Amino acid sequence: MRRVSGSMEKQALAGVKVLDFGWALVGSLTSKQLADHGAQVVRVESITRIDLTRTNRMVSMSSATNPDDKPWFTHLNTSKYGIAVNLKHPRAREVIDRLIRWADVVNANMVPGTLGRLGFGYEYIRSIKPDIIMAEGSAYGQTGPMARKWGVDGTGAALSGYLDLTGWPDRGPVGPNVPYGDVVLPFFIAAAIVSALDYKRRTGKGQYIDGSMFDVCAHQITPALLDWEANEHLQTRNGNRIAYAAPHGVFPCRGDDRWCAIGVFTDNEWEAFCHVIEDPSWTREPRFATLKSRKENEDALEELVAEWTKQHSAEEVMQIMQAAGVPAGVVQTMQDLLEHDPQLKEREFLVPLEHPVIGVFGHPTPPYKLLKTKAQVRTSPCLGEHTEYVCTQLLGMSDEEFVELFRQELFK
Amino acid sequence: MADSLLGGFRALDLTDEKGFVCGKILAALGVETIKIEKPGGDPARGIPPFLHDAPAPEKSLYWFAFNTDKRSITLNLDASQGQDLFRKLVERADFVLESFAPGYMDSLGLGYEALRRVNPRIIMTSITPFGQKGPYAQYKGSELIASAMSGVMVSTGDPDRPPVREGPDSIYFRSSAAAALGTVMAHYYRENTGEGQQVDVSLQEVAASRTSSDLVVWEFDKRLIKRNATIRTVGARATQWLWRCKGGYVFWPYMGGPGGAPANSALSQWIDDDGLENPLNQVTNWDEFDFATLPRAVLDVQQEAIRKFFMNHTKKEIAEEGLKRGINASVVNNPANVLENPQLEARSYWVELEHSELGVTLTYPKYFFLNNQTENFIRRRAPLIGEDNDDIYANELGLSSTEMVALKEAGVI
Repeated sequence: MRRVSGSMEKQALAGVKVLDFGWALVGSLTSKQLADHGAQVVRVESITRIDLTRTNRMVSMSSATNPDDKPWFTHLNTSKYGIAVNLKHPRAREVIDRLIRWADVVNANMVPGTLGRLGFGYEYIRSIKPDIIMAEGSAYGQTGPMARKWGVDGTGAALSGYLDLTGWPDRGPVGPNVPYGDVVLPFFIAAAIVSALDYKRRTGKGQYIDGSMFDVCAHQITPALLDWEANEHLQTRNGNRIAYAAPHGVFPCRGDDRWCAIGVFTDNEWEAFCHVIEDPSWTREPRFATLKSRKENEDALEELVAEWTKQHSAEEVMQIMQAAGVPAGVVQTMQDLLEHDPQLKEREFLVPLEHPVIGVFGHPTPPYKLLKTKAQVRTSPCLGEHTEYVCTQLLGMSDEEFVELFRQELFK
Repeated sequence: MADSLLGGFRALDLTDEKGFVCGKILAALGVETIKIEKPGGDPARGIPPFLHDAPAPEKSLYWFAFNTDKRSITLNLDASQGQDLFRKLVERADFVLESFAPGYMDSLGLGYEALRRVNPRIIMTSITPFGQKGPYAQYKGSELIASAMSGVMVSTGDPDRPPVREGPDSIYFRSSAAAALGTVMAHYYRENTGEGQQVDVSLQEVAASRTSSDLVVWEFDKRLIKRNATIRTVGARATQWLWRCKGGYVFWPYMGGPGGAPANSALSQWIDDDGLENPLNQVTNWDEFDFATLPRAVLDVQQEAIRKFFMNHTKKEIAEEGLKRGINASVVNNPANVLENPQLEARSYWVELEHSELGVTLTYPKYFFLNNQTENFIRRRAPLIGEDNDDIYANELGLSSTEMVALKEAGVI
């Protein structure tokens, strides 16, 4: 089984060196974007400060004791080199200082202030490498009254208004079981880092980048912010409905808990929709003739649409609608994604690679494809897997020195 | 020009709402981003809400929100003169952003291969529902469809209702951020090698890339995690993450291990201080607190006590007192609350942008991230339809006023 996806072609970020203090989701996903596109990322970890995704036992094969049997960690940390260094060890600087000199970029996302307390804040790093590009992600940003507070994924979602807008009008807010804030911030930080690399190419200057989940998430609701400021309309949850399409919802299909989403935006789509459900008489009633009237009678409309969808499988509904040019999609489960979706397969959404502890399983490729410089994905590092390689090969440490530091229990 | 990360580069932005934010991000990074609209205006200018509830192409607040800092020209790409003008613009551009159905640009003779011959350095970023190739490439999509097909929706919503989409256009937003990232990576490579390329972004795949934690549960254990309202399963046990409080809701993920320990012990202390019944104080070591070994009945009793506790406090108390106590709770803000938030205020997050034609000034988010070297700020309201036609066509491409009039009459610009 392959250990690397794709062939060894040129990559967009080949030659870029990243010292990575990232962890959990935001930091891990930021450096994953860089690593999958050819940057050499050295992730610094420690058993004394273990990543939560190295302890999370969401699948039965994951043990309480082995940090290397967590497939979720792999999803977040492909293509990186991993070294183990206890940053609180009195001799940590003997390795970290060399990594700083080696690196073009430092990535981190500890609670603001933590890296500084460990002795590796931006001022220190810059004193060693004046043109370093350093990026730190956090829940609230590096400044402001909440800067030093701890936060997770939903923190940004809740504060930013995203959660308040998600769910049914007569019920409380809900969120997906999968992340929202934690997965959007990394794209912004990574884009800032790459832009900063280009800026440095042109000016010779490095910089410090402060990325906040709250800041980024609040952008998503800008239309609702403007609606409040300008019109004093306080938007709230509205289920699956939107103002400019009808029907626009998720409809029950044959089978247990199977659903298909349908969205009819234009008059042409409405005509096509009526045609493929074989023009039942209700489709010609005046109350459904225009978008405006369909919006006014949306409860009745949705019931009638559901009468039709219930007679078909979700896949049939999607195929029938799409063949007629009506936007529709199955509410796919994880099984559908992994086993039934030919489009995700075509895009190599997951590539089977071998992990030394977990075995062969699907590894995620970046979901944006650079067609000339394709991403190449390797499995994630075991804890400390590349410590010796990084110290002796990348940093040029002598074997004697490495053994000495090893005996001092630095590499834990 | 003010110093910015990517000042001096130019993007031509042909996207609809699926890709607006990509150009908005590039513009904030300093790229001169020119929105190319159909004569008469981009159809997405019809997306509500509208300023003062008056539907008009120049009053879409949705359009305003995601097109700040862009310039605008009108151009009919279906006309051959329009295509010629577009090729001239591509000669002078660094990026093309588009979200047409795959193959449409090719059918106009403006696909990536054609544009590469005009400008080998060009980077073309395509944001589509399912990507450029594959069995679903021609399927139509939207925020709702991407949410369904990506596996995000299947775990969102109340169990007794249909799965539900996220309120904001979160998939458009994140796909546009992914597109902007791919675009700047391609740019970095281009500046090093001289070679442009196409970046192919699928809304479905970008959204699906969020599902890692649920995917592995199917791949390894053949279990499906279903929508369960405010209960989330990330790890061994489903626990409550969203709670009702007095007058609102609060996000407080009940988590085990060292990750949850500081918040759990702070919350337990607060419950004690309130004089409420507190089963949490039976936990002696929060660092070692593990849901995997906690009996279901004990968890139920704990969560019931937490539920009662939050119902005892308002959003304001939880925000202010909770911050002091370090319970790591976040109140669920509504849009009005967001505009008043002290953290955003302290970071100078807002900027007033003047819409002088409309006689209003509106408050917008000012930046996506902060840095210490440049100011990547949002500075200007979204453009009017064809606001920059004269500057681009006459001043830059050198079209005479007669030519401009003729193009206008022919419906090209």
